Amino acid sequence: MRSASDTTTATSTGRGGMLLKGAGLLVLAALVLAFPAMAPDPFILSVGVVIMSYAVLATSWNFVGGFTGYISLGHASYSGLGAYATALLVIHTGINPWVAMLLGGLVVAALAVPIGIASLRVRGASFVIVSIAMVLILLLVFQSWGEVTGGSNGLRVPRPFGPDVLRPEQHERFFYLHAALLAVALLAWWAIDRSRFGTGLKAIREDEDKAQSLGVPTFSYKLTAFVVSAFFTALGGGLYALWFGFLDPIFQFSILVGSYMVLMSLLGGIRSLFGPFLGAVIVGYAVEFFKNQYGDTQFHLVAMGLLLGIVVLFMPDGIIPAVSSLLRRFRPEAASIREVSQADLAEQRRRTSSPSTSGTARVASPADGESTGDADDGSPDRLSEGVQR
Amino acid sequence: MSLFFQSLVLGVLLGGLYALLAAGLTLYFGVMRVVMIAHSAFLILAAYLAWFFTSETGLDPLLSLVVTVPLFFVTGVAMQRLLISRLRPATLTMMSVLLTFSVALVIEGMLGFVFSGTQRRIRLPYSGDSIELFGANIAVVKLIAFGLAAVSLGALFLILKKTQFGQALRATIQHPDAARLVGINTDRIAGYGFGLGLATAAIGGTALALDSTIYPSLHWHWIGPLMAIIVVGGLGSIPGAAIAAMLLGLGQSLLQIPLGTTWAQTIFYVALFATLMVRPQGFFGGRLAQRF
Repeated sequence: MRSASDTTTATSTGRGGMLLKGAGLLVLAALVLAFPAMAPDPFILSVGVVIMSYAVLATSWNFVGGFTGYISLGHASYSGLGAYATALLVIHTGINPWVAMLLGGLVVAALAVPIGIASLRVRGASFVIVSIAMVLILLLVFQSWGEVTGGSNGLRVPRPFGPDVLRPEQHERFFYLHAALLAVALLAWWAIDRSRFGTGLKAIREDEDKAQSLGVPTFSYKLTAFVVSAFFTALGGGLYALWFGFLDPIFQFSILVGSYMVLMSLLGGIRSLFGPFLGAVIVGYAVEFFKNQYGDTQFHLVAMGLLLGIVVLFMPDGIIPAVSSLLRRFRPEAASIREVSQADLAEQRRRTSSPSTSGTARVASPADGESTGDADDGSPDRLSEGVQR
Repeated sequence: MSLFFQSLVLGVLLGGLYALLAAGLTLYFGVMRVVMIAHSAFLILAAYLAWFFTSETGLDPLLSLVVTVPLFFVTGVAMQRLLISRLRPATLTMMSVLLTFSVALVIEGMLGFVFSGTQRRIRLPYSGDSIELFGANIAVVKLIAFGLAAVSLGALFLILKKTQFGQALRATIQHPDAARLVGINTDRIAGYGFGLGLATAAIGGTALALDSTIYPSLHWHWIGPLMAIIVVGGLGSIPGAAIAAMLLGLGQSLLQIPLGTTWAQTIFYVALFATLMVRPQGFFGGRLAQRF
């Protein structure tokens, strides 16, 4: 949604806007590429790799979370499956690790099809329930199925680079590899965002019933987005496995990892291309800082919970939309058609109708709350608009 | 044979506890369309409070209910009024999941912080006692837990069916707009519904503390089965949730004989997927469940 309004402002401000955007992208890319050279020691570099890994996962999550508005708390199942698939392929068949990673991604994407069919048939709530259930099942299975997965003892993953490549050098290479994967994921997100497919997905996010009645094949669109998301998440998990070299079900299939992806994306802004990336940098840095400073106590759970709660309550749109709407105040009003979210629209209606008929508005506003994405915006609203005119 | 019968009885006893807790989850979903992830975290919180109460005062953990039930009711009302109702209606279902998830994390973290991650268990004079019933050995504490769950479930049923408040609550669940039109203050009713749901967690937690070892991250083992139960039963249907809880609790208990405890848990997830594939609105759910 923001992206589309960005494009309208870009056309209204003409070349300048485009140039500005290009320059911003270049600066961002240069910053990312220069990071390994700027990092003072291997530890900071390894933190950088972790953050890039989070960025890949969060961006992959955003294929389904950002476009369709279906929030999955269990994307750790796909990153974990990708990691284990990659590791097991390398160990048992001895194929090239990068091929194994790609194959692992494809396997997970294939697995995501039946999971998606089961969980996307009904609206929101069941989707979330299934996403959490998936992580819990996989944790159970991977812990008990010791002869294949190594169980709770963990699984050692062979390194893709030989022993002559030292640790800092490893970190540097994997940093660039993660950055490359992130670039591919971002490009795919951008391409979908601008396509007809993406428009359909965003229509589902705003109002699934209306989208369906306008002829959007909602189910197959949702499923496709879900599978693409699982594919990229699995690649991210596989790359992480090759870097880290050790897998433990407790950390791979952890609800916490899945909720990090959600928190990062929400904090940055799920409707913006770079939102999850920004969120990953902030949250990833905070997590590593916390672990370094306070050790692995239970306190990071509290901090994470509080942060998530604050984001959900007070800034569900994220940082990027907040900042860009602030910037837009200083620009001339865009005259062309803009996309407005269902929530904004309801808010606008409520605001315009409340001064004249506060009584009806009070009745009407909970009526919107009857269900998510409900088609009727409360006829009293429309009525009071008529009265105003 | 006696092993089978033993599992059968244990399954019924477990199913009773599941039924009470699933009823709470169903209430939240009914009044607010909220999937309350923090339900099982509150369950563990109540168990910890019962343990703390007993280890400090030496009294029976059941007495802690006098404090925890009203406390949880008020907490539930406050949570609905102060947190859940602030969310935007358009994205309520998804955002409420995240909000309650964050509450669960805070509770788990605080439990670990205050009571440490050590496993805790209440020691009672009658902990080891058991009753012989047609050749099956049933621990007394399990019977007490089941009795507690059955009594509370019965009380919940009576509240919903016989009182005016229950009628208003059911009206709010069935059709919020119509309920408002006949003069029900649905906001307040939703708050009370939330409190009632959380009170079931207080009772369930105390029952749980009687016969199991508790630790802060235990709630993840409960939320999966509970959510599977409410989906199988049909989101929003309390009888459906109770029946599904009984059946799945029985199934889990019986499957433990051939499969062992770990794999027996998968029955919940198998049932969840099978339900979503065959009948996504759940086996007992009505019109309400179809949209969610």
